[in-house]
Amino acid sequence: MPSSIKPSYLLHRLKSNLFTIGFFIPAFLYLVSFFVIILVYLLKFSFSEGIPFLQLFSSTDFKAALWRTFWFMGVGTPLQLVVGLLLALLIQQSFKGVGAVRSLFMIPIAIPALVTAVIIDLVFSYPFGPINDLLLGRHGFFPQIINVPINWSGSEFLSLGLAILGKTWRDMPISMLILLAGLQTIEREQYEAARTMGARSWQEFKYLTLPLLTPAILTILILRSIENWKEFVFPFILAPAYPLLGVLIERLYHVEQNPALAASVALCLVALIGITTLVFTLITKMVRKYLVRI
Amino acid sequence: MKSLRFILICLVLFFIIFPLFMMTKYSVSDRESIVTGGKYPEPFFPFSPTLEMFRALSARNDFVGAGFTSLWVGLLAVAFSLFLGAPTAFALARFKIPGLAVLLFFLLSVRLFPDISAVIPVAELLLSRPFSLLPPVVLVGLAHTLLALPYTVYIAKGVFESIPRDLEEQAHVLGAGKARTFLKILVPLALPGLGAAAIYTFFLSWNEFIFAYFLTFQGTETTLPVYLLRILAWSPQKNFISAISLVICIPVIVFTFLVQRYMKEGLTAGAVK
Repeated sequence: MPSSIKPSYLLHRLKSNLFTIGFFIPAFLYLVSFFVIILVYLLKFSFSEGIPFLQLFSSTDFKAALWRTFWFMGVGTPLQLVVGLLLALLIQQSFKGVGAVRSLFMIPIAIPALVTAVIIDLVFSYPFGPINDLLLGRHGFFPQIINVPINWSGSEFLSLGLAILGKTWRDMPISMLILLAGLQTIEREQYEAARTMGARSWQEFKYLTLPLLTPAILTILILRSIENWKEFVFPFILAPAYPLLGVLIERLYHVEQNPALAASVALCLVALIGITTLVFTLITKMVRKYLVRI
Repeated sequence: MKSLRFILICLVLFFIIFPLFMMTKYSVSDRESIVTGGKYPEPFFPFSPTLEMFRALSARNDFVGAGFTSLWVGLLAVAFSLFLGAPTAFALARFKIPGLAVLLFFLLSVRLFPDISAVIPVAELLLSRPFSLLPPVVLVGLAHTLLALPYTVYIAKGVFESIPRDLEEQAHVLGAGKARTFLKILVPLALPGLGAAAIYTFFLSWNEFIFAYFLTFQGTETTLPVYLLRILAWSPQKNFISAISLVICIPVIVFTFLVQRYMKEGLTAGAVK
């Protein structure tokens, strides 16, 4: 009962735990004070005079960026899931040299995102670059596909496509590792039982692997959609003419020198991520229930 | 099935290696292999490979300066996050703390903000007085500490949990106080694990772009990734950009390969426990 505890007892407990508290405080204080500062600044700016947060919804730049980011997330998330699943399935079973292949599959995560974006920019350069050379049929071994070089950064579709490609390339190992962990929880016996009952390999995948992998898949969908909402580096380098929300924040802050509006977009991004996470969590719960019923 | 898997693995490996190959190729390319003027396709191997770009880079003061800035920022972030994080991790691992789950949530809470959202308030705060009086290296180091600290606490918590409690009790029986036990018994035992956290923090800082970019936007002193971006603004040739990129990547790739084995061992050791 809290009412029966004497103040002197509390003081004694506090004193005897001073060491623990002293140990605990430094990192805790650092992180929590930054959390509070970030939250307060974002709210203060977004609801300062003129309420920049509400101005956003009449801004065409913001609406365009919101749509682009939505598409970026909507296309990127499933793509990253499929690529991760493919990679995980490829190295799931052990074979000669699987360790080396796994190590090589981990490389992209070691490359800084900025460097990846810059290299993709070089490879897809216009008018003369390796990919344009290839598509123009200038190397003997590859058939000619286009007649004029493609200006990759000149089209919204292509430049954002490159940004998705870059993001997918760089983050492949993350999805792969989570799905691999999910695959390894499925027991051998279940596959053996399926095989005894005459299941073919694609039936095994459809009726056994995929349902049992659902929790890992949903985890990936949540993590990847958050990552894609907040993506900055790839569209910043590869699609500067077609800003996503992250790039819009940078532009408002540095080019237009409008920290209040930048903070409003930033707050909006936080809210969108929160909503997406909530929706996916609800879906996860529903799917779990459905799976249990089977 | 087996041959299909082999073909697919080769395709994926090609997809992974291709950009890295292009980066390496460009960085050792001579002028004729890059400036083709559309008369001939870019060759897959440079006509006459050269290390000219690396020589040019090593003679540039701004590049070497950016390299040292990156190094100092990384070391500062490591020092800050270990100094702040290790005691907290120890307290979490050893002492009964009421409402532990809530505290853990608060420790991670700062990472709930996307970097690009968090960077606006952090830049507004650190670029105004009194913080703006600190050198940029320290400001970026503080920001990277913010990013790395939650992970440091989590890794170090696992490390301290793996050290048997008996050791502390024995030290206590022999008359050592809590602080002395921590510094003389636990920290030395935890050093390899804390080393892993330090390496993680260092490379997080080495690769980090957003906070470094916003915090060094005005000044000349900056880290390597931001230096690469600034160089891009004058649209230099592919070999120069690639050489800088390669220099940024090499330490990370080498360390990823070296540490991977120990990382895996660490993971399995944790799993058995």
